Amino acid sequence: MNATLPTRASVLILGGGMHGLATAFNLADMGLQDLLVLDAGYWQGGASGRNGGLIRGGFSTPEWTRLFAFSNEQWAGLSRRLGHNVMFSRRGYTMIAETEKTADLFETALNVHREHGVRSEILTEPAFASLLPAFDPRKVRRALHLRDGGVAPHHAAMKALLAACREREVDVRYRTAVTGFERSNGRVSAVLAGDERIATDAVLIAAGAQNVQVAALAGVKLAGFGMRIEAMALEPVRPLIRPALALIDRLVYLHQTARGEIVGGIDVPERPRMSLKVDLPVMTGTAKVYLELMPQLASLRILRHWAGMLHITPDFGPLMGEHPDLKGLWISGGWSYGWAGGPGAGALMAKAIAKGEIDERMKPFAPDRFDRGRPVHEAAVVLSKFEH
Amino acid sequence: MAMKRLAHASQERVSFRWNGRRVEGRKGDTVAAALYALGIRELARSRKSHRPLGLSGGHLQGVLARAGGRPNVRLDLEPVVADLDVRMQNVWPGPRFDLLSAARLLPSRWLRSGFEHTRLMPSGTWRFQIWERLLAFLAGMADPPGRDLPADAIPGQRLAVDLLVVGGGPSGRKAANEAAEAGKSVALACRGSRPGRFAEALGVQLPELDSRVRLFARLEIFGLYRNGAFAAGAPKDPREGAVIFEPGAILLTTGKRSVPPLVPGSHLPGVLEASVALELAHHHGVAPGMAVAVLGTGGERLVAARLAGLGVEIVHVGPVGALKRIAGANTVTSIATDRMITCDAVVHAGPWRSDPGLAFQAGAEGLGQLRLDQPATQVAMAGSAAAPDEPACIGQAGLPQALVCPCMDVSAGELMDHMAAGESDPEVLKRLTACGMGPCQGFPCWELQAALIARETGSAPEGFGRPSHRPPRRALTVAQAAGLDGLVAPDR
Repeated sequence: MNATLPTRASVLILGGGMHGLATAFNLADMGLQDLLVLDAGYWQGGASGRNGGLIRGGFSTPEWTRLFAFSNEQWAGLSRRLGHNVMFSRRGYTMIAETEKTADLFETALNVHREHGVRSEILTEPAFASLLPAFDPRKVRRALHLRDGGVAPHHAAMKALLAACREREVDVRYRTAVTGFERSNGRVSAVLAGDERIATDAVLIAAGAQNVQVAALAGVKLAGFGMRIEAMALEPVRPLIRPALALIDRLVYLHQTARGEIVGGIDVPERPRMSLKVDLPVMTGTAKVYLELMPQLASLRILRHWAGMLHITPDFGPLMGEHPDLKGLWISGGWSYGWAGGPGAGALMAKAIAKGEIDERMKPFAPDRFDRGRPVHEAAVVLSKFEH
Repeated sequence: MAMKRLAHASQERVSFRWNGRRVEGRKGDTVAAALYALGIRELARSRKSHRPLGLSGGHLQGVLARAGGRPNVRLDLEPVVADLDVRMQNVWPGPRFDLLSAARLLPSRWLRSGFEHTRLMPSGTWRFQIWERLLAFLAGMADPPGRDLPADAIPGQRLAVDLLVVGGGPSGRKAANEAAEAGKSVALACRGSRPGRFAEALGVQLPELDSRVRLFARLEIFGLYRNGAFAAGAPKDPREGAVIFEPGAILLTTGKRSVPPLVPGSHLPGVLEASVALELAHHHGVAPGMAVAVLGTGGERLVAARLAGLGVEIVHVGPVGALKRIAGANTVTSIATDRMITCDAVVHAGPWRSDPGLAFQAGAEGLGQLRLDQPATQVAMAGSAAAPDEPACIGQAGLPQALVCPCMDVSAGELMDHMAAGESDPEVLKRLTACGMGPCQGFPCWELQAALIARETGSAPEGFGRPSHRPPRRALTVAQAAGLDGLVAPDR
């Protein structure tokens, strides 16, 4: 941490979370050397250590589905590629509709999934009952099951990514904050970290909730803002809830971890909130939904409740690409489904930065799409409304 | 190995079931006290190595069992009632023949955190999916709740007061009485069935609580929110509703707790925090042992004298710093200081430290990491809670075998190996080892972790941030939390 930083980097990645490390790994795999990753916080201190852990490839729009289905495939082969076990559990991901509107949305989603080769199905009543015995079936109008979705625990996946990066000589430094940028001829030329200067001509911002502030240091704007999101864990019990769950109408997501804890949370309207402090309404609101839909959880105790932060954009979609106002400045931000999207985004971003090839799957998520009037609205997500 | 019932114990007998066997307690006993009196000390098993755990005052895993179809019931709070069915958890197929306890034979190094992401079972293969299901079964420890239990939200209440006092000891009572005298509305919340049970057991004269003070006994304040604008508490009885206080000011008089010494064997059943030993002897008439060693940082003489006065046989009184190790297989059989002392229970009375959780929750702020730089303005501390903490006691010989976090099987050796590899950030060590992620949520294990980091890195334990103290630390159930919904509106 206190060791001197290198004076130059081929690609300088700001953010040592899922996205920063996944991109660094892919760049190293393509043969790039002198890769440097800087992170202002500690390992897993950002959204990569505080998200729901859920992974799925299917959404209701072709744009989201193409990108996330690719990432879901990457997850499936990630342990082999990294040489370390990320513990991606392909246990399935079930989306639940309680209203007619959401049930209709699932029909749209099914068609999109079929077109893009995503394996999904509407669960029959007996199939639902055997998959989710703790769930009150009377509350369910329709359940869409993604067979290849699942979950991955942070502690394993992040350890695997960091180890794989370091084995490929990527220099990863935590507790190292960036303080400024230098540019020349409309291009990024160096990054400052206190007294130290790192010359580089490619910078990737993958700093999660801090993306907007880091971009401001470089003198450019990014859509969206940082916000707090909260989750809680129930004390461990033996397996009760098998698949990952998204309760679309309740804005609740949850799963039971390999450690037995039931982890999830309810979404609140998206507003700028830069704090890791938790508040009561998320805990009580999540508990209320659990109780109504899974009454068997009533007597379980709440172990802990915490907050994480992410960078949310007006259409909830990621920002992927080079910044239109500054050459050499790349963004992989705006991730609300960033754990699911990380391995895929890492591969696409690496190809874009190293070879200048902008993949079709990332094109719809260009950072300037809002200025061009081309947002990508996705409804099959556990996010409520963007308020600014 | 029946323990001694002391002369003043209740004589009224209550019969209940432990692991299917009919056993007898006394009216007013907790299940843990009744079992302790019968010589049944091993109430639970640690998560991975299946070490024996029991009543301690520290690691909570030791008192969690299944009672009346509910998992993870705290036996040190659960009163004995006739025919209550209580069973040990984390056993398979059953408590009498438990194959899982074979894990004790494995070298603990094999079960260090990270073993579960072995390269032998990589994800993306069918064998990983089987491995993961097995892990989930083992790590879950307890069977899920019965499906026939009540499942309604338990309505909570919201209450505005001028002052909320947390803790019913001498300074809490004094402050509450003074504020009531001055015409303020005052609530006093305490965990015990009467305020100041520890002080009472120690023989301290307590001022009467002013009748105008609203008393919330058996209520655990588990979280302070919005810089102390709200304090949330959960009753120990899971059938009762939780309470949200909206206090003008909060006074924490939560006292100090004795942190167990970090020596091999400190997790063994029979090693008790002074308050728990006194509670057993004074309130339940149960001797902590037939031959008890009392160790501490100065207060051990008072505790030993008090226990002896209640009829407990004390075989050793001395400084905790001289303790080298606690020996025994399933319970304490001896301790080593500069000599071997045969005893069947160890009571530690110090080092005394405050549980930092509530003050942290109220005042800590941060984007990358919550840190308590500035205490919340409307939260004050008084009494021994406000006094400086004593340094935690770290042993020397055999230190790597000592357990920092017995619930999660985290040894000092595991933490020391990470530090030797260059990782000494408390937040990162928590994520690498799961230290403090069990039912106690960090107290007292992070006190020991901080002391160990300080020792290994040659820095001061107060010099680095600590993992964030997260509410509600299993104080309330899903049904109790649901009953609070709507009482506090989301902030704008």
